[in-house]
Amino acid sequence: MIRVNNRDEIEWEEGLTPAALLERMRYTFPHIIVTIDGEVVPPEEYATRPIPDGANVQLIHLIAGG
Amino acid sequence: MSEKTQATRRVLAEYTYEAPPVERGYTGQTLYVNLSDNTISAKPVTDVMKEKFIGGRGFGLWLLWHGVKDDTKWNDPENEIVISSGPIGGITQYPGSGKSLVVTISPLTDIVIDSNVGGHFGPLLKFAGWDGIEIQGKAEEEVIVVIDGVSGRVTIEEAPDAPVDTHLLGHWLIEQLAEKKEDRYFMSTVSAGSGAEHTRIGCLNFSLYDRKRKAPRFKQAGRGGIGTVFRDKRIKALVVRSGPVRGDSNHPADPERIARVGTRLHKEIHDYDDEQNRMRKRGTPYLVQIMDDYDLLPVHNFKFGSHSDTPKINGDVWEARFTQGLPDGCWYGCTMACSHAVDAYTVRTGPYKGQKVIVDGPEYETIAGVGSNCGIFNPDDILEINFYCDTYGIDTISFGTLTAFVMECYEAGILDKEKTGGLELTFGNGEAAIELLHQMGRGEGFGKIAGQGIRRMKEYFVSEYGADPQFLQDIGMEAKGLEYSEYVCKESLAQQGGYGLTNKGPQHDEAWLIFMDQVSNLLPTFEDKAEALHYFPMFRTWFGLVGHCKLPWNDIVPPDNRYTDEPAKIPEHVQNYVELFSAVTGREITKEDLIAQSEAVYNFQRVFNLRLGKGRREHDAIPYRSQGPVTVEEYESRAERYDQQLREILGLDPEGMSTQEKMAALRKYREEQYERLKDAVYERRGWTPDGVPKLETLKRLGIDFPEVVAVVQKHL
Amino acid sequence: MKVLSYDPELCVGCYICEEVCSETWFKVTDGEKSSIRILDEGEGPLRAVYCVQCGECIAVCPTEALYRDRKGIVRLRKKLCVGCLSCVGFCPYLAMFIHSDQTEPFKCVSCGQCVEECPAEALAIVEVETARAPGVQV
Repeated sequence: MIRVNNRDEIEWEEGLTPAALLERMRYTFPHIIVTIDGEVVPPEEYATRPIPDGANVQLIHLIAGG
Repeated sequence: MSEKTQATRRVLAEYTYEAPPVERGYTGQTLYVNLSDNTISAKPVTDVMKEKFIGGRGFGLWLLWHGVKDDTKWNDPENEIVISSGPIGGITQYPGSGKSLVVTISPLTDIVIDSNVGGHFGPLLKFAGWDGIEIQGKAEEEVIVVIDGVSGRVTIEEAPDAPVDTHLLGHWLIEQLAEKKEDRYFMSTVSAGSGAEHTRIGCLNFSLYDRKRKAPRFKQAGRGGIGTVFRDKRIKALVVRSGPVRGDSNHPADPERIARVGTRLHKEIHDYDDEQNRMRKRGTPYLVQIMDDYDLLPVHNFKFGSHSDTPKINGDVWEARFTQGLPDGCWYGCTMACSHAVDAYTVRTGPYKGQKVIVDGPEYETIAGVGSNCGIFNPDDILEINFYCDTYGIDTISFGTLTAFVMECYEAGILDKEKTGGLELTFGNGEAAIELLHQMGRGEGFGKIAGQGIRRMKEYFVSEYGADPQFLQDIGMEAKGLEYSEYVCKESLAQQGGYGLTNKGPQHDEAWLIFMDQVSNLLPTFEDKAEALHYFPMFRTWFGLVGHCKLPWNDIVPPDNRYTDEPAKIPEHVQNYVELFSAVTGREITKEDLIAQSEAVYNFQRVFNLRLGKGRREHDAIPYRSQGPVTVEEYESRAERYDQQLREILGLDPEGMSTQEKMAALRKYREEQYERLKDAVYERRGWTPDGVPKLETLKRLGIDFPEVVAVVQKHL
Repeated sequence: MKVLSYDPELCVGCYICEEVCSETWFKVTDGEKSSIRILDEGEGPLRAVYCVQCGECIAVCPTEALYRDRKGIVRLRKKLCVGCLSCVGFCPYLAMFIHSDQTEPFKCVSCGQCVEECPAEALAIVEVETARAPGVQV
């Protein structure tokens, strides 16, 4: 289990990456900052950086809207 | 091109002047035009105006305050329309620096409306010698007002041959007034249309001359019925002409600093726009699919947040329809270039059937408003409505939101074919929506009733058709009399405040907090929400004081933004604004000063609303449709989410409850939350629990002028 | 079309090209007013920045001040320029230059003056069919 945005409990699986998590949550916005246990993940590592079980993940969406 | 024929133009009043040079973003004077007695004069821009009101919306509010009385209504002659850009407006080096701000007393809200618009009018007005124009009075016959900075002449003229609808009038004015080909480059017009005079939702069209398309384009000051006031004053058009725009026309204190900041942002857009929002290819329609993905796209009068047909009207569709590769900025140097258009569209209905036209847009708000919110997923219907709204001078947002309301009333049995004069206004009926719009253009039938806006329709449906007032209050998406813009905020308390706790009514230009709040969970407490509802409205107000567009602030993001301490604010871009203001005016400011500048104007506007008999807590009420599920159908569509809230937050067991009981419990909770939010926000803004700015707040902001204090004291 | 070409192997870093360029077009000796810039980035060979006449800037110009002349050279009509600097930020080679003495940017128009004066014969005017595509490194 991981915790997303200090609220949502999400099932953990082996090999879970930020890219896979964003897809699972259907988070399609282009300006999302990902942190794992407080550390910012560079976008080029979204597809490769593993998210450990029990991690506290933040998927911070910047402001949208006209 | 047909042979140029000279139309009849009779000059009613003339004023000659010598355009002063622009110094550090200001000309030092505003233009006053009275259409009742045909007087024209210059007013000096005072130090207080520059210091406290900055420009743009600030100047507009200050001039309007002194022009109207406490009981002035929108259609009284003393109501004014004030247009001003701002000190930064007219620089060409930084994207989004050509905006105009328009203020007036609104026919929808009976308080001040402000609307932010692109096009060339504001900057060219400045280069023609004026920091703003203030129009008071009402003409006896239809007039045009021509401000010619080149010859130094302002005239009020009768032009009986001039058409009223914008797409014709824009061409006509160029034909009549541009002597040489180059003249049209530095000419801009403001116009409304026939729909603006028959409804309360009239908009203004601000032109720019598109050199590649060799035609005028139009950007809209949409919100709050300013076009209606314009037509009520019997104005067909304002025209401004200036000498050629140069890179230093705004005469900034430090041009090098502006060039540095500007080229950096140009490069950022060049490097990252394609992988971020693709504004240069799609403009704001990029948002349609995203809003649908997050359940935030209004569907069927804000009942739902997504629809399976959204891909038919999303950004991919518009990218294919928009002419690509053109410099689609609404002012020089805007490389964000979101001002796209569909070229050679053949109009298929109404008085202009068969004409090939340029459709400016559609923008996100139009697609969501007249499209998904009305259940219309046909791009050609959206284009037809977009074109006619613009040329008739009707706000696409109010039109979309009020048509969605009408459609729900129709489906709920409050309206029927007999009441609508034969229009079957069900969700998804594009043809009926288009005909409703034509009725507004002609001032006929049900269109005339609908064009009064949701607030007046509610009263009418109750008194004439015996409709249930509570149901209409719940589903009518208006607050303060203004129709909502196009985001579903049911699951974001902060955004309910972002819409409700505004000066002018529910337009998201003050704050858009849905992602921060609902998705990222960055505003968990009332204090967090209140802080966001202080900072963002103040920050975003600032764009309207200086002549800037909001989009280049956060529709492009520097790649290292993620490593900053407050990424939501885009600190590097905030610093750009600090640099620009300092470099233009020569007054060094900090990012804190920027907020303080806005706060003074923002509070002044709140006091202005008080003066006009509104502006207190009760006027910040919002419809329940914006807070939660009004109908069983809506509850069931998100039952899992709502049931979970009942369990986790209210400690109720939804198992044994009927849907009605569950809805009632949820509603009680959510309505209480909104009241608590008001308390927190008022406190943070330095207001009383009734929403009145405290004297100490006015003092701190330096706007404790005697006449301002006198208004507030009545409510303390 | 005729475009400038540069051979880093031959360049000795004397900066005479910058001087000649600014003298030709601005009547002053000032590298900041040159349309060719020789960059010494510490390691690796010297690098030259100049316009390859790709024409990417023409599309972003809102006033049609930038255009391609009959010989294929990208030129700026100063009279039409509003100084927005869009072209500066959008040049893939960073070869559109600005100076605080004027509001309009400036660029190489393949005049060849620097070629004449280059003592190392590192510069040449060459005939090409099409301009080098943006994104291709110098």
